[in-house]
Amino acid sequence: MAVPEATLSHLNRADGSATYSSNGYTVVGAVNGPIEVQRRDELPEEAAIEVNIRPAVGVGSTKERYLESILQSTLRRIILTHTFPRTLIQLTLQVVNTPAPFDCPFTSSPLPLLPALLETAMLALLSASLPLASTYTSVGLALAMPSPVKKKASLSATAIMPIDDKALEQASSIHVFAFTADGDLLVAESEGLFAPEYWEHAYDRALELCIGSKDGRAEGEMVVEGEPEDRNESQWLRSVMQEKAEQEQRWKT
Amino acid sequence: MPREAELSLNEREFLLQALRENVRLDGRPFDTFRNVELKFGEEYGVADVQLGKTRIVVRVSCDVTAPYPDRKFDGIFNITTEFSPMASPAFEVGRPNESEVILSRILEKAIRRSSALDTESLCIIAGQKCFAVRADIHVLDHDGGLVDAACIALIAALQHFRRPDVTVEGENVTVYSLREREPVPLAMLHHPLCVTFSYFHSGEVVLVDATLAEEQVRESEVIVTMNRHGEICQIAKYGGSPIDAVSLLTCTSSALGKVQALWKYIQEKLDEDAKKRDAGGLMAELSAENAR
Repeated sequence: MAVPEATLSHLNRADGSATYSSNGYTVVGAVNGPIEVQRRDELPEEAAIEVNIRPAVGVGSTKERYLESILQSTLRRIILTHTFPRTLIQLTLQVVNTPAPFDCPFTSSPLPLLPALLETAMLALLSASLPLASTYTSVGLALAMPSPVKKKASLSATAIMPIDDKALEQASSIHVFAFTADGDLLVAESEGLFAPEYWEHAYDRALELCIGSKDGRAEGEMVVEGEPEDRNESQWLRSVMQEKAEQEQRWKT
Repeated sequence: MPREAELSLNEREFLLQALRENVRLDGRPFDTFRNVELKFGEEYGVADVQLGKTRIVVRVSCDVTAPYPDRKFDGIFNITTEFSPMASPAFEVGRPNESEVILSRILEKAIRRSSALDTESLCIIAGQKCFAVRADIHVLDHDGGLVDAACIALIAALQHFRRPDVTVEGENVTVYSLREREPVPLAMLHHPLCVTFSYFHSGEVVLVDATLAEEQVRESEVIVTMNRHGEICQIAKYGGSPIDAVSLLTCTSSALGKVQALWKYIQEKLDEDAKKRDAGGLMAELSAENAR
């Protein structure tokens, strides 16, 4: 899996902003908040969260609305909304680049885009320095099952790979997971044909990709670096934030 | 939605006083643009323009559809501008505000109605099939000069874009993907660019490429659209205080210099990008373009 790229706080007008690109998807995210809320959206005890997703080409449709609803409900658990009652936290995600469309069963599926959106949202929130309950990382997996699906088809015969063009061509189902920093499941969206065992198999792999293997999960005890297989998303997120913090603390030294 | 933060009275007075003393807040001379930076994406037809702190991404794309029944020989060309809260929290989704309407109208007149893009060349089979080219304008960062920046980005993106090659055999149309055949550039007839002039102190001070703060205190604006041959495509003035006719003439003559410089810059960047894509030097052989 290619190492994703991120740029933080590069927009001037927004409170927090980030660009994230990975696997041919590039998303620019901006967060404004807490700001004044319209009367009809105002919540008396917490901040309202508004998510706008804008596609690279054309205007938003049901696909974008669906993704917005997933992000909105996810972020409600992450942002400490009760610290800003009667305000609005506004997140705008502009998709800038998507891989060229090709023929596969998941061409019109919204899911391949979801991990990039979730990651961009996280980075933008971190850039805006909004108080969060936890960070999260997200990964998309494609499952290629030996066809036809047998109940007892060996799990090892199933290929699990991160979603990219090559994986989508042979995939029978795709899954998107997001985990909090503690390894708790936050988002699980699936599409396609699969059996529960396969889902669990994918879950384990996703957890490994996001948080690292279960043994190596303890604080400070990082897996051997250098090998691409050992790289995990939360480690990457941490390195991005470390870079940002170092940049911002430059004046002190 | 919060309103756009207005300048305070002090800031306003300071800016105007400075202009009276021939100083701009960012130290630029009155008749210069901010730094323009143009980048192209991996794909054809993606242009990213940065004009000072304003940033606009334009994406041109196309697909094959049926032409409008009353314009059988023309392809379809659409420009969509939709502001998002990313550029400013004052922009509300799904409710165009004044500057959005003005931007889309100006671009419509500047590029579409001045027929910068030859829509007849987009026709595949008259009355049945044609290319529909659409340009999506995404404003990422807003610090004034949206019209000028969007126009630069749009022209650069259109010039950079390649549509898939097609062959017609009787009624059968074959559209070749980018991998099968080298795609074809769009037929651009000319390249109009916009220059906005802002008027202060009842016409005594004229600024080129005002920032957002300057836009908020100006008395009126004149948008001149012109191509590099000095042909004026439009002069737009939406309200504001009156200006005298002689001043318009100076505007148009100074716009010509700006447009030529901008176009030269765009051309340079396009050549640079073409050179980067033409790695093996095979482009000349692959191209299906006819010499005009």
